[in-house]
Amino acid sequence: MTEEAILQGCLKNEAAAQRELYNRYSPKMLAVCYRFAHNREDAEDMLQEGFIKVFSQMHTFQNKGAFEGWIRRIIVHTCINNLKKNKRFNESLDIVHAHGVQVREESVPSIVQAKQIVECIRILPIGYRTVLNLYAIEGYSHKEIADMLDIEESTSRSQYTRAKQMLEEILIRKKILAKPKEKTEWLVAVR
Amino acid sequence: MKENSFYSDDFEELIRGKTEQYKMYPSENVWKGVHSALHTKRKWFIGSMAFLVTGILFMAGRELILPSNHPVLHKPMTGAAADAVKPAVENAPRAPLAILRPANTAVTARHNDSDNNTSSQEWDPSTAGISITVRHPVLSQSDLSEWLSQVVKLPAQAPDLDVIAARTPATDNNAIAAATRGSDEQRNTADEQRGVANDQRGTADDQRIAGDGRTTADGRIATDSRDGRIAGDGRVAGDSRNTGSETGTDGLTAQGVIESLSAKGAHEGYYARSGAALQSSTSTRSGVNGQSRLAESAGASTRASAREIAESDDAQRVNWLHDYAMNLLETTPKSGRTYLELSLSPTVSYRSMGGSDVGADKLYPLGVNGLPPGGPNSYIDHRPGFGFDASGSILYRLTRNLSVKGGLQFNFTRFPIKVYEDNGANGTAATTTLQSPYGIMMDSISATGMPMARSGKQTSITVDNDYYQLSAPMGFELRVLGNERLQFNLAATIAPSYLLNSSSYMLSSGYTRYDKRPTMYRKLNFYVGGEAFFSYRVGNIRWQIGPEFRYQLLSSYTSESGMTENLKSYGLKIGITKSIP
Repeated sequence: MTEEAILQGCLKNEAAAQRELYNRYSPKMLAVCYRFAHNREDAEDMLQEGFIKVFSQMHTFQNKGAFEGWIRRIIVHTCINNLKKNKRFNESLDIVHAHGVQVREESVPSIVQAKQIVECIRILPIGYRTVLNLYAIEGYSHKEIADMLDIEESTSRSQYTRAKQMLEEILIRKKILAKPKEKTEWLVAVR
Repeated sequence: MKENSFYSDDFEELIRGKTEQYKMYPSENVWKGVHSALHTKRKWFIGSMAFLVTGILFMAGRELILPSNHPVLHKPMTGAAADAVKPAVENAPRAPLAILRPANTAVTARHNDSDNNTSSQEWDPSTAGISITVRHPVLSQSDLSEWLSQVVKLPAQAPDLDVIAARTPATDNNAIAAATRGSDEQRNTADEQRGVANDQRGTADDQRIAGDGRTTADGRIATDSRDGRIAGDGRVAGDSRNTGSETGTDGLTAQGVIESLSAKGAHEGYYARSGAALQSSTSTRSGVNGQSRLAESAGASTRASAREIAESDDAQRVNWLHDYAMNLLETTPKSGRTYLELSLSPTVSYRSMGGSDVGADKLYPLGVNGLPPGGPNSYIDHRPGFGFDASGSILYRLTRNLSVKGGLQFNFTRFPIKVYEDNGANGTAATTTLQSPYGIMMDSISATGMPMARSGKQTSITVDNDYYQLSAPMGFELRVLGNERLQFNLAATIAPSYLLNSSSYMLSSGYTRYDKRPTMYRKLNFYVGGEAFFSYRVGNIRWQIGPEFRYQLLSSYTSESGMTENLKSYGLKIGITKSIP
């Protein structure tokens, strides 16, 4: 079934086309949700809510960009909205200087490659993790992040800087990354 | 939106690249939630149907537990009818029965008769003017018979059939006709009586009530309209043959019953009051001429002997009433304890897969070819399919509500699976990992060209998995609600089953292909089943319909396979049950 046929079927509210679309994109989107969420159950809740929005807002898609990107934006916004409902998340965002966050060695799962890095990201405090996800992975600007999270743009920048430092430390400690000889050069152990 | 220049940083590029590779597979509940949220019409439909079915079941259950009485019995009388009845009711406060009919009802009927034809054939004297209506407490016909049997001592011997036949309304009509045509020796009397009857129909509402309260031999009651009493002395006009058609037409009347009882003195006061009520409600327009003529014709007989004859005759009538109500009516034949049950159930079959391909898990701990690890459910696409069960069972009724049963059942189970055509690109063979006491081993038998279990770029097709089984269900049936005609039952069975044949595919090692491996299927299995059904008896046959559920306890595969498959079916059972003599 082509993507065009799937879109047409979804616009007609056909269950088969919706299922096909869901099967095609839900694995990637659940991984997105998982990076934002506290646990897998929360991630699945976000995914479900996000897909309901996708299907119900399908008529607003104008074929100007990639369909996957359109879905992804909806899913990310759904995740952010869910996080904003969480009191702990709002408190975490206010901690601009989060030095001294200790990462326990045993909390890093001994898995490889993609999942390993994802799990390392999930070790970060929720505020750091959110900004890192939005900036480094989803590609939002600090201004957009500030608007989305209702924080200052400078806060977003500082949060990202701290998050990046902390993630580097974790990855090096887990020997996923080697220490760079120069600032701009990174050696990836797993490559 | 995106700051592309940002990705010049190797770190961000690395993070982004790696996380993009990561995929997670949501549980089926996520899709169910999405689907139910999107298709609310379907949800409304299901909800409405559930509400409707619940309502019907509630109403049916309530009707079974507390059946409603006939609405006519509760319908209050109004207007003239109520006025006519009221004094009679007040006069007989203790009476379980009141021999009353609203005056206007009787009048209307007779006016119609008078307008059209006043011949005696059209006027049914066994019913006109006399009717039995029921006051509170409500009594049924059986109650009436029971009450009568208690009040009147029944003879040891059954009544003479000739007498019963002569007393039935149809016979009476014939007698009327015969008498109307007249025999030579009765012609004068019959003509006179017809004249009396015509006068009565034309002028009076209480044709049965003659002036001096004399009773004819076949039970016609004559009451004295002057004092309003039913003739307690039971005077008769002699032989019915001598009194012509009129005196032979009212064979079975409650008046006769009452008069008989009254003559015995058992309830004299009460029946006198009842008689008064009867007269007040029916004799307001009595014809004096009719009364006097009838009195004259009846006066020819001796009164003392007439009383005896009347008593015995009325006793016969009472007994006839009892026999007619209790013994001559159609009775339900007694059924035995053993029943034959035949049923057919269209079913929808599902399967649930479990376990794992132990070989694949050993080889690919992180998933096969990039897919995440998991049981076979992660790799298959199957749907429910239609099948059927046909069974014959013998039921033995242990108690009124509990029966045990055993029989034979043929099961056809089908569920389609989605597979992908082998386009030759994948040269892997279908192999099966076996578990043995010596550890895990890969079956050397391989098959190529079998359909692929997972999608590459192949075209998907649907193939059917079929099972043919013979089982022997044994269990019980429990009547939960209802009576002998309409019942609600629950049943449960357990059934050893034997696999007659199968045409099905099982996943090969590594979940790559489907393979037909008949030797890997378990021949002997067990099912448990449950059903709830309504049954309704029509004659000797009881029809039943209701949902059933059946679950296969053991896996379809032998213990050599690490994977398990359990079948389950939902069906609608339609069956008949017949008593075996």
